[in-house]
Amino acid sequence: MHAVHGGQVVPAVYAHAARRSAAVAQEARVALAFIAPFFLGFFVFNLLPLLYSAYLSLVNFNSFSEAGPRDFIGLRNYLRAFADRLAMASYARTFLFSLVYVVGIIVLGFVTALLLDRRLFLRTASRTMIYMPYVANVIAIGIVWSIVLNPFGGPINTLLKLLGIPEPALPQWLTGVRSALPTVAGIKVWQNLAFQTIVFLAALQDVPRELYECAQIDGAGWWRRMVRITLPMISPTTFFLVVITVIGSFNSFSIVKALTDGGPGHSTRIITVFIYEQAMRYSYYSYANALACLLFVFILIVTLIQWKAQKAWVHT
Amino acid sequence: MGAHLISSRRARDTAVQALLSLLVFAVGLFMITPFVFMLSSAFKPNGLVFVEPLRIIPQHLFLDNFKRIFADPLYPVWYWNSIRVTLITLPLRALLVSLAAYAFARLRFRGKDFLFLVFMATMMITPEATIIPRFLMYKAFRLVDTQWAIVIPAVFDVLFLFMLRQFFATIPRELSEAAFLDGYGHLRIYARVVLPLSKPAMVTMVLFTFIWIWNDYVNPFVFINSMNKQLITTGLQFFQAREGANYALQMAGATFGVIPTIVLFTVTQRYFVQGVATSGIKG
Repeated sequence: MHAVHGGQVVPAVYAHAARRSAAVAQEARVALAFIAPFFLGFFVFNLLPLLYSAYLSLVNFNSFSEAGPRDFIGLRNYLRAFADRLAMASYARTFLFSLVYVVGIIVLGFVTALLLDRRLFLRTASRTMIYMPYVANVIAIGIVWSIVLNPFGGPINTLLKLLGIPEPALPQWLTGVRSALPTVAGIKVWQNLAFQTIVFLAALQDVPRELYECAQIDGAGWWRRMVRITLPMISPTTFFLVVITVIGSFNSFSIVKALTDGGPGHSTRIITVFIYEQAMRYSYYSYANALACLLFVFILIVTLIQWKAQKAWVHT
Repeated sequence: MGAHLISSRRARDTAVQALLSLLVFAVGLFMITPFVFMLSSAFKPNGLVFVEPLRIIPQHLFLDNFKRIFADPLYPVWYWNSIRVTLITLPLRALLVSLAAYAFARLRFRGKDFLFLVFMATMMITPEATIIPRFLMYKAFRLVDTQWAIVIPAVFDVLFLFMLRQFFATIPRELSEAAFLDGYGHLRIYARVVLPLSKPAMVTMVLFTFIWIWNDYVNPFVFINSMNKQLITTGLQFFQAREGANYALQMAGATFGVIPTIVLFTVTQRYFVQGVATSGIKG
């Protein structure tokens, strides 16, 4: 048996191979056509800004005049960051904010998931209420919480006063220099709790039931089952959640803009807010970009440390 | 005696279940307390918000706040802007993302894994991190202060590319192979076989796109200056500043600001939870 291919007579095996490779080539052409529009947009709007950001951080584009010369100044913007006490204090604030937020949301998300994992009456209603803040508009959240936590006459402090707490001891919440940062972190926990809960819940439901049954036969109590089965089995999920929660919290911006805009004083001026002000208020575009790149390096280091540390506690 | 033991144990289990249910319901109530207070204050005259803050159901339902919102020269405009931006973004995003996802899920080509890795790697960097270079770029493209600065970049979303690729991969290959043998090209397999079977993933995408654009603060805040072009989030912020001490009116504005997403979420909760649980979608 012979088949005609390209004017020549070739054995059927080759013809088959040729047809196959033609099909592969055609598939590649289709793939190109399908991906090209997305890739073009992705390149311009995702990749290019990244490269541009790195470039900007190395030149001198720190003034109002947009057409001004952009001399290559190496790492000077970065050195300036390390000498800037306000910038360094902002990084420290971000770190503190993340610590409160990540610990809070991981612990509470896990506990909430444990509770929702049980057979409950009114489960759907409870779940809907618990997840609700997650879909609410961030500025609306800001408006509502500033009024709810108003130290003079807001419902929370009114309630606390009724409970017998004397006026001077009432918390200042968002208006206190010491209390503002943890309060914002707490509100962010409230806002995002649904995400961590849903992911934990999915992990809990994936733990094989037989493991619990075996343990129960062996007479293991609730605590033992938790420590020996649940926690190790869901540890890959916990790891994933901690990593992305840390990344997300280092980049927090909207919730602070909505609640305190960096105040009172500098007390909630986390690095993202600081960067925004350096760029948009003072037109220090290059300096702000260097700060953003530093933040990225900082996040990368923290993520790598977590990656290395996972061997110690993540069950594979 | 055995039966007695079992039934008393069952009674105890039910009691525990009831207690836990009550606890979880209380947690739920705690979570929505700020919204309850928001709604309650929105129906009060401003003078009463801080005078009787703990009276949840106002003595008289006061509707002037809502009337003022409707009559506001800007508030309804921001509302409509948010809806319009979503409506323009959605079909573009659905089309371009699903086409690329199909190629990654079903087609063989060189550099596929590498390209996908590049896409995924950029997911590690949140869009906020590149806000300044994007601002300068959009300025050069003359996109600043137009709603296209929100729409166009939103079309090329890597997270949904990932989600749709995962979903397309679960559709049995036999189906598309059968269509292939019937002489269907890839475009027709994509449109007639894969897309119709991907309704859950597409619904998840529509749902999240709406919620994100509705709640997006950073993009309109940085890229849009004109008040009549703002979206609801930045509009609300301006509204809050403008109404300084009129807390009741701010609460009415916030109420309308959260209603669409909360209603949408309540109705489509199943898709929402699946979306988060299966692909780790982050808000």
